[in-house]
Amino acid sequence: MNKKISITIDGKEISAEEGRELLWVALENDIFIPNLCALKEKDRPSASCRLCFVEIEGFPRPVTSCTQPVTEGMVVNTRSPEVDRLVGTAFELLLSDHRLGCSKCPKNKACALQRIAKERKLKLKPKRLDKFEKDTPIDDSTDLFVLDRNRCVLCGRCIWADRHIARVGAIGFSQRGIKRKVSTFGDKLLKDSPCIECGECVEVCPVGALVFKKDYGK
Amino acid sequence: MELLEGEKEVIISQVSEILGKHKHNCENLVPMLQEVQNQLGYVPELAMEMIADSLEVPAVAVYSIVTFYNQLRLNPPGDHQIRVCMGTACHMIGGQIILNSFERRLQIEEGETTEDRKFSLERVACVGCCAIAPVVVIDDLVDGKVTPTRVDGILLSFENSNNNEGKKEQEQKPVERGEGQE
Amino acid sequence: MGEKKNHAEKQYQEIKTKAEVKKPLTQDKTVVMVGTATCGKAAGAIDVRETFKEEINKRKLNAEVVEVGCIGHCYAEPLVVISKPGFPSLCYGNVDEGLSSRLVEDYLVGDDPCYEYALVALEPNEEFPTFTDFPRGMFEQKVILEQCGLIDPEQIDHYIAVDGYHALAKALDMEPKEVIEMIKESRLRGRGGAGFPTGKKWDFCCMNVQDPVRYVICNADEGDPGAFMDRSILESNPHQVIEGLIICGYAVGASQGFIYVRSEYPQAVRRIYTALEQAREKGLLGEGILNTDFSFDIEVFQGSGAFVCGEETALIHSMEGKTGMPRHRPPFPAEVGFRGKPTVINNVKTLSYIPHILNKGVEWFQSIGTPDSPGTAVFALVGKIENTGLVEVPMGTTLRTLVYDVGGGIRNEKEFKAVQIGGPSGGCLPESALDIPIDFDSLQEAGAIMGSGGLVVLDEDDCMVEIARFFLDFTQKESCGKCTFCRLGTRHMLDILMRITTGQGEKKDIEILGDLAVDIKNGSLCGLGKTAPNPVLTTLRYFMDEYEEHIQGKRCPSLMCPELINFYIVPKKCSKLCSACVGSCPVEAIYTREDGLKAIDLEKCVKCNSCPLACPPEYDAIIKVSPPERVEELEKENA
Ligand SMILES: Cc1cc2nc3c(=O)[nH]c(=O)nc-3n(C[C@H](O)[C@H](O)[C@H](O)COP(=O)(O)O)c2cc1C
Ligand code: SF4
Ligand code: FES
Repeated sequence: MNKKISITIDGKEISAEEGRELLWVALENDIFIPNLCALKEKDRPSASCRLCFVEIEGFPRPVTSCTQPVTEGMVVNTRSPEVDRLVGTAFELLLSDHRLGCSKCPKNKACALQRIAKERKLKLKPKRLDKFEKDTPIDDSTDLFVLDRNRCVLCGRCIWADRHIARVGAIGFSQRGIKRKVSTFGDKLLKDSPCIECGECVEVCPVGALVFKKDYGK
Repeated sequence: MELLEGEKEVIISQVSEILGKHKHNCENLVPMLQEVQNQLGYVPELAMEMIADSLEVPAVAVYSIVTFYNQLRLNPPGDHQIRVCMGTACHMIGGQIILNSFERRLQIEEGETTEDRKFSLERVACVGCCAIAPVVVIDDLVDGKVTPTRVDGILLSFENSNNNEGKKEQEQKPVERGEGQE
Repeated sequence: MGEKKNHAEKQYQEIKTKAEVKKPLTQDKTVVMVGTATCGKAAGAIDVRETFKEEINKRKLNAEVVEVGCIGHCYAEPLVVISKPGFPSLCYGNVDEGLSSRLVEDYLVGDDPCYEYALVALEPNEEFPTFTDFPRGMFEQKVILEQCGLIDPEQIDHYIAVDGYHALAKALDMEPKEVIEMIKESRLRGRGGAGFPTGKKWDFCCMNVQDPVRYVICNADEGDPGAFMDRSILESNPHQVIEGLIICGYAVGASQGFIYVRSEYPQAVRRIYTALEQAREKGLLGEGILNTDFSFDIEVFQGSGAFVCGEETALIHSMEGKTGMPRHRPPFPAEVGFRGKPTVINNVKTLSYIPHILNKGVEWFQSIGTPDSPGTAVFALVGKIENTGLVEVPMGTTLRTLVYDVGGGIRNEKEFKAVQIGGPSGGCLPESALDIPIDFDSLQEAGAIMGSGGLVVLDEDDCMVEIARFFLDFTQKESCGKCTFCRLGTRHMLDILMRITTGQGEKKDIEILGDLAVDIKNGSLCGLGKTAPNPVLTTLRYFMDEYEEHIQGKRCPSLMCPELINFYIVPKKCSKLCSACVGSCPVEAIYTREDGLKAIDLEKCVKCNSCPLACPPEYDAIIKVSPPERVEELEKENA
């Protein structure tokens, strides 16, 4: 265990373990920082969702808190005009690529996107940007769960669970850029993949992309 | 994609040979895939599965890589690969127009292969011959200062040469020639 | 330096003495050097080489034909240098088979050097001007391009004969720390884009003293779609890069190096393999280099076509057999790199300077260029410029000098509009910025970046919105897709730009575009996303009027965007006697009117720009108009 240090987040004095990532320190002390891609167990953060920006005194511009180790005396603000602008744009970008329709979504009320929108007073419907029309077929081939890529935010948590918790290797990212998606080998249906239907990936999905069938129509 | 008869055997023997040449660790994954493509023209699913098995990684991890890189193909290309340079210099001087001309003539889009599998059309980013833009690379030959009318000429020359090949074949088989003349 | 024995030096001198016999430009034999880098080959250099060989054989002449790399004057490819005893070495441009035969007949057999076809002489002489007699030569200063095009890249002896690998011997007779100190003192900055001090990077890599395993990698993944300097250097003088990499390996204490090269450069790949093999044979690579106890080898890794793999963490991932996705830095590769070990990654050009600095010293290096950016800058000059090709000028040279004096100005007497510098990560600078000196910091201030060295010159016919769209299209396609800003943001920017260039832009688009650009720059994970908005930001800054014309006037002022123009044949200028345009049209859109003049069927026209080029200059009857509806007005006027 590392040495204990003291830092300040939003004016609150906090004792933390030196070198831990700021995001976890904040969250464990009930200070909310938006995040989608972070997983505590991962040895290196993917830092891909770009929602966890904070401002740290002495740093020229906002940094992602999931990659930032804490140091003695660090003074952090989770909000600032610059941070809000970045987080707002990242959020709007993600939502421009996300099929809405919360009332019909099994994750309604338990969705990380709704939480972020509420905490940061952000609109779920992008106002500046056009929506990308996605209409990817839904994979409901397994008995246990459904994969709806139209709702996926590409946080990569399911893939991590597949490899490191379930240790199966049924899913991974394929393609790149705007075409990047969660795939099985050869883009087959989940039932034709090595998937063992353990449900570990569903547990970690922050949005309505992976949901148990039993939660549908609730 | 369904494999034709005999194709499976070819893939297995080629891939086994490639696997035999390399140490089975992830650092050799991309070089192995490149070799597979050099031999077969593309990376078939079967090859990905064989390589994944030998490296003891999930097949989907290999699929991730193949779909990530521009160079690696999931489907066999045409007999002739036409690659239109879309580098800055070529673009400014009408590379898009050349690409459109090929698309129009071959009736395919960039990234596709003609139905008869004769030509496939791709774009590349700068082959380093900006001084003779716009550039087209056909198989391994670099062709510069291409115009829309030249596009017709290029394709025509392939059709002619193919006819010649066809003729040669026919000459070797007199019976069939007789049939052809009817 | 004294206390270490001159082991390496002694061994080197032995190798050199043997190599000198094979010096390319000797005075007792005629040598014909044909430039067969990719650019030369594309222009027909192979046929030229064959013609020379045949003609020489036929006549049983005592002359040798060698293949060399690129001398940099790509506009005049194929290029041939002939060195005949008693004459200055002469360089000929635009050589074809006819001229090859003639040169053999008249010059090799007869003694007429055919000065009318010569471009330039290589050494000072009484007969013919040399490079320094031309404006371009006055401003150019060749350091890392010096031997390119003058030695056979596939013969290590050619390189050794011009003192190649001497710097390696010198380095090996120094302490590694001394080498790093020297590079630090020289203030060499990385030529891969960002300009990070090279010595500092090397030093940083040696910080972790506990773990002795380190790697060095040469980044030859040149992905900028308008640049070919690295390719040209690797094809023309691969040993210079290899020597630099070995020295780098020695300095930081690595025993394994890699060259990460694009597989789209097959000729460069081949020449690197050949060069490595030859270096091993000479004992310059492998176990106990130059009889010292330093062992080092180099492997080649071929990239598979992903621009983002030029980014150093992505490059490492792709070498490790993962998808080429960047990761957050720190830790930097110099701390945690390939296989988790400290790794130095340097660009081809950066490494090419190393032997020169060791040979000629820190002071010499600093005497070139500016205090903060010493040395030279290598550019691939392309676009609407007279002399396309590779140029090397001291840092601090102004863009104006580069475009007008070195590049020979704009082609076809058109008007200069902008230079695009730094490729997809760089920006477009207007006339008013031409007096900016070329160095890392000044360019950054102007909104562009030094980048890897692509420099595209644009003239009045080039639309700046379209250029921005082109680069965004490129980065959008090349985005790895990992992080939100770059994956989705560049796509939105591209969509907006496409709307603008097709006449569907709205006023608010400009503001959204600018805001998105700033956020993507600040919010992206890696350098690709952080710099992708630069082409848009600079064109918004310097060419806002063009955006406004597209949006408000629905017209393209440069007559380039196909959706916003139409082609029109001016009846008054058209001739009944000519039908050049009819044949040039690939879709048969041009027809003959009842009165014998030609007209375009706009329904069929694909706007390929063939007909204006086909129309003979004495008529010059075909014009482009924007907005497209202008054709109807013209038709009424001319009815
Ligand atoms: C998207 C992207 C592409 C890059 N491409 C290249 C490249 O093709 N060649 C190169 O040398 N550096 C490239 N770089 C820069 C490298 O990451 C790295 O900074 C460089 O190789 C370091 O070498 P230097 O210190 O010698 O400049 C690229 C960076 C980014 C972000
Ligand atoms: S900035 Fe672009 S290329 Fe870089 S990590 Fe993010 S998505 Fe990938
Ligand atoms: S949680 Fe930090 S970038 Fe996603």
